[in-house]
Amino acid sequence: MGRRLLIGVIAAVAFVLGMVYAWRIAFADGTELLFDSGWWLVLLAPFLGVLAAGLTRRTAPVIEGDRVLRHDGPAMLEHWTHGIGTLVLLVTGIALGAFFIPSLLSQQQVWAAMNVHFIAVVVFLFGTFYYGANAFLSRKRFREHLPTKNAFKFTVEHYGHLLGNKKYDMPPEEKYFESEKIAYLLALGSTALVIVTGLLKVAAHVFDVPVWIMGVATPTHDVAMVAMGLFFVAHVLFGAILPMGWPMLRSMFTGYLPLDNAKSEHAGWVEQIESDDGEPIPIRTMEHPAA
Amino acid sequence: MAENDDRNDEADYSPQSGLSRRQFVTGLGGIGLGAVLGGVITGGLAQPASAIAIPASQGYLLVDTKKCSGCDSCMLACSLTHHGKASLSLSRIQVAQNVFTPYPNDITISQCRQCPFPACVEVCPTGASHVDAANGNVRTVDVGKCIGCERCVNACPFTSSRADWNFEDKHAEKCDLCADTPFWNEKGGVGGKQACVAVCPMHAVTFTQEVPVQAGDVGYNVNLRSKDGWAKLGAWAKTT
Repeated sequence: MGRRLLIGVIAAVAFVLGMVYAWRIAFADGTELLFDSGWWLVLLAPFLGVLAAGLTRRTAPVIEGDRVLRHDGPAMLEHWTHGIGTLVLLVTGIALGAFFIPSLLSQQQVWAAMNVHFIAVVVFLFGTFYYGANAFLSRKRFREHLPTKNAFKFTVEHYGHLLGNKKYDMPPEEKYFESEKIAYLLALGSTALVIVTGLLKVAAHVFDVPVWIMGVATPTHDVAMVAMGLFFVAHVLFGAILPMGWPMLRSMFTGYLPLDNAKSEHAGWVEQIESDDGEPIPIRTMEHPAA
Repeated sequence: MAENDDRNDEADYSPQSGLSRRQFVTGLGGIGLGAVLGGVITGGLAQPASAIAIPASQGYLLVDTKKCSGCDSCMLACSLTHHGKASLSLSRIQVAQNVFTPYPNDITISQCRQCPFPACVEVCPTGASHVDAANGNVRTVDVGKCIGCERCVNACPFTSSRADWNFEDKHAEKCDLCADTPFWNEKGGVGGKQACVAVCPMHAVTFTQEVPVQAGDVGYNVNLRSKDGWAKLGAWAKTT
């Protein structure tokens, strides 16, 4: 815990210092655009993420007394680097102007926002590729995120229960709700689009990218940004603002979820851990433990 | 602590490649990291100092502010031919009138000078602001590449800046000598017509292929009234 906290504090301080540096140099004499001078960092970050994943040893979820280890250190690292990177990218991206939204900034503020955008790009790419390589290494973790063929029906059942329907016909929820699994596909698609089009926009700082490619990349980047924004808002609402998400939010800092909460919200997942076979729990008509 | 989740690494071993999944990922990350760092360092050391020669524009706009009546027809024509809108703010040539200054210094015309060493082209980080070799080396903006950093707008050494900000579509733009006028059925550019020249009722704007004198406004704000007549009489200076 102490080591994890130390790494988190160091990473946070480094991130804030990077932001301050990016902001300050935009207002200094001989203004510098980091997308020009540091474009190679945008290439370096994904490989750093992949290398870090290769050197990382993951810890499987395990019940320890009255709590469950839900997020190991690497999970928290990939979540917060991807999440904070996304937040800063959305804020600076929208401030710079997209579609019909006018730019909220002018002159040097534009460059400062671009430099902050750059720092966030590097952090975001590291976190995303770190996650991607980890998922490649452990396909089970990737499959946990994918919706089942009954995802829509199960989502209706799940939220029907929250609205008062006592009986429902679905397996107990696994590590992720079916609705989260559907949203995961949106996040996956929009992230891939943002990265591909974003890399093209960065390439334009170095190479003579044909104008028709830029003409496609720029609006596609904006469309993907809107999709990411929708996912981000929903994610923060259900994961951090509504009280039902607070235990999970805490676990994103501590790694642990109370066992009672896990049994109540993710009974199928707890069953999987206890049986240790990782197999999905079959559909059955049941009452929610919290009902 | 819980068991290692990657206990299946050995099962992922591929006899064909001789690599496990983890070895592949670690190797890919390491090689990529080394390639990027090596490329940057080597490129930085090996790259020779380069001099960039920028060819001169084959066309220039000249104005005569003493002939200008301030009707703004050139501005409206510029906006209409380029954008299909009658907006003074979208014009790439700007006419300003100072009511507190008497004639002949009451009117200022800001047209792009197609500089021999264009600062707008030099500072552009994406190559959007460029020398268009296909259109007589006119200095212009490829809006598809513009990222809206406004560097060119600020880099232009003249006031008002000859690189303009399109507040509607959020990109830089500048005079292209009408090389790209989608709302005009005339051939523009250095070998064609220019809307501001064509529409000016006072003939206060003209086009030349001669490189103007690069000293202040002398070469660009010229006497278009009469080269001989009035000047000989001493009523006007031959140039401003």
